[in-house]
Amino acid sequence: MSIKYESQKIAQYFYTFAVVLFLVQVLVGLIAAVQFMRPDIFILNFNIVKTLHINALVVWLLVGMMGATYYVIPEESETELWSLPLAKMQFWATVIAITAVVLGYIWQGLDPQANKLIAGTLALNEGRKYIEAPRWADFLIVVSVLLFLLNCFMTVMKTRKWTGIQGTLLTGLTFLAVMYLPGMVYFKSMVRDQFFWWWVVHLWVEGAWEIIAGALLAFMLMKVTDVKREVVEKWMYIEVGLVMFTGILGTGHHYYWIGTPSYWLWIGGVFSSLEPVPLLVMVWDAFRTTRETRVVDNKPGLYYTVSHAIFNFVGAGLWGVIHTLPQVNKWTHGTQITTAHGHLAFYGAYVLLVLSMIYVTLPAIRGVKSFNHSRALQSFWWMTISMVFIVLVTTGAGMVQVYMERLMGLDYVAVKTTYNLWFWILRAIFGVGFLIGVAIFVIDFFKLGREPLTVAKVATERA
Amino acid sequence: MSNKAARNLFIFICIFFFAIFIALSADTLSQIDKRAPEITDEVNAGKMVWHKYDCIGCHTIFGTGSYFAPDLTKITDKKPKDYLKKFLMDPRGVNPRAAMPKLGINSTEADNLITFFQWVAKVDTNGWPPKPILATAAEVGGAALTPGQSLYQSLGCVNCHMLNGIGGTTGPELTHVASRHDRAWLQGHLKDPKAYVPGSAMPDFKQLSDQQANDLTDYMASLK
Repeated sequence: MSIKYESQKIAQYFYTFAVVLFLVQVLVGLIAAVQFMRPDIFILNFNIVKTLHINALVVWLLVGMMGATYYVIPEESETELWSLPLAKMQFWATVIAITAVVLGYIWQGLDPQANKLIAGTLALNEGRKYIEAPRWADFLIVVSVLLFLLNCFMTVMKTRKWTGIQGTLLTGLTFLAVMYLPGMVYFKSMVRDQFFWWWVVHLWVEGAWEIIAGALLAFMLMKVTDVKREVVEKWMYIEVGLVMFTGILGTGHHYYWIGTPSYWLWIGGVFSSLEPVPLLVMVWDAFRTTRETRVVDNKPGLYYTVSHAIFNFVGAGLWGVIHTLPQVNKWTHGTQITTAHGHLAFYGAYVLLVLSMIYVTLPAIRGVKSFNHSRALQSFWWMTISMVFIVLVTTGAGMVQVYMERLMGLDYVAVKTTYNLWFWILRAIFGVGFLIGVAIFVIDFFKLGREPLTVAKVATERA
Repeated sequence: MSNKAARNLFIFICIFFFAIFIALSADTLSQIDKRAPEITDEVNAGKMVWHKYDCIGCHTIFGTGSYFAPDLTKITDKKPKDYLKKFLMDPRGVNPRAAMPKLGINSTEADNLITFFQWVAKVDTNGWPPKPILATAAEVGGAALTPGQSLYQSLGCVNCHMLNGIGGTTGPELTHVASRHDRAWLQGHLKDPKAYVPGSAMPDFKQLSDQQANDLTDYMASLK
């Protein structure tokens, strides 16, 4: 395996930043898990730790997707990237902007009064979940994304080879960029605020990102197996078509209880109940393709790709559909059930997606034919088993919470501090397991292809 | 199906469902303000306080947020305004076991934030959050209550105080309150909490008639 175009190597810059942020995300996540039992254990309060946890997540996934795209586009277009210096500049601009935003959050955490209102917007933290980044940072992010998209489109225009994969990938990325804009407007009404906030959050994770995932899944299946392009691309169109069919009006499941009209109850209920369907098709697609092709060199790439498809379905699909009907959601809305769904959905749909892209493309970038698979598989099992248990205990906590707080009428704090205590303890323990998995992955990322392979290992891998 | 047909189907689906979504959104936006009270400057200032302190980093509102601390959609229906103000400005001064730290919210900010919460509480949320089934059933179908027990429920004491495992955690637990205080203390405290517990955030219940105060005190005095 080796890359065809020198400029594909730029992907590695983005992967490295993504991997570092992944580690940060999980470290602060573990602190947040402990704060459920001991709120004062860390110098920053839970709200800031949590903000760092979810912002690091969103940013590292986006940066990872950007890196993956820079790898895919030259290969699909069969030409070098339009401008390598622009890609590098865009990378460093992103790193600087993100670092500044993170420092701002920490500053606010140490001194809440520092988050001052300047020219109508808050200077350090907008106080809106996921899109906490202040307005000045929003503009930098938009500029960075526009430069990124420009570079990609100009590359495609060099040879005008519009393959299905890159067409779909760029559609998803453009959609993603456009859907960031509704988050940049201030609304006096909290109802309008949340209405448009969901345009960003839902239409990203259940719209644009799933389109990107569909395109990257197709690319990876082509890479790890020898399936024909026509076949993967057809299924890709069917999958992303179904994603849009169910996902756009599926936004309605966020409009049940925020002050919006009641017709969203049945629109959201019907369409979001169908949301697991395209994800199930992706699982079937991944299994069918890999079963038909027995010869696979890159076993970690295959593991991560197939498990991405499976956990996308289980986490985003099944764990979502269990509480998506309004009759159920009325009781479960805003409980730990949502937390459980969020964790498995992000892990399955996007964490495993970016990690599989790294395992599929990194060996080629580093110019190695084979690499030591043991760490990749170790980290896979540590992370996946830990995450499954984190999700199970959080679901348990959610069930107790729904029953005791929502049905019986016990106080929120009483349920949290007394009846759910063991779930928090277990979650933190499995969190440590997840951190171990991430640590192994980070070591593997930096060592992959850079250490000599022993003869014995080469022999086992070939067997 | 050919690849081209599959692609065209994808494009058609995107356009078709986006068109429906935009049409529904336009209709929703035309209705939103009718489903909520008017937004005054204080409400808007309170919303900005909500954002400034990243409240959503721990709490939820309309059930959306961070699941680490209570949902605040109906908080002003549950807790008296004076209590909320004191708590916002110094949570552990009111309840030493509170997880919420002192963030430096000043008096004006606290007033505006509470006005914002009052606005939120009046938004038509299609009936969310629902009343707890079991607690509601107990109130309606329970055995005949003593006058003191009825008052305990109708005054909403349960929102702040825990009794036999049911109730809030913001005020002291009352399960064995009569073993800590005598009848005179209980009755006097009810009429003027601050005279008995300096800095207390509990509202006074001077509005109760002597008969009512007696009934409620009888009930409290029975909790040994």
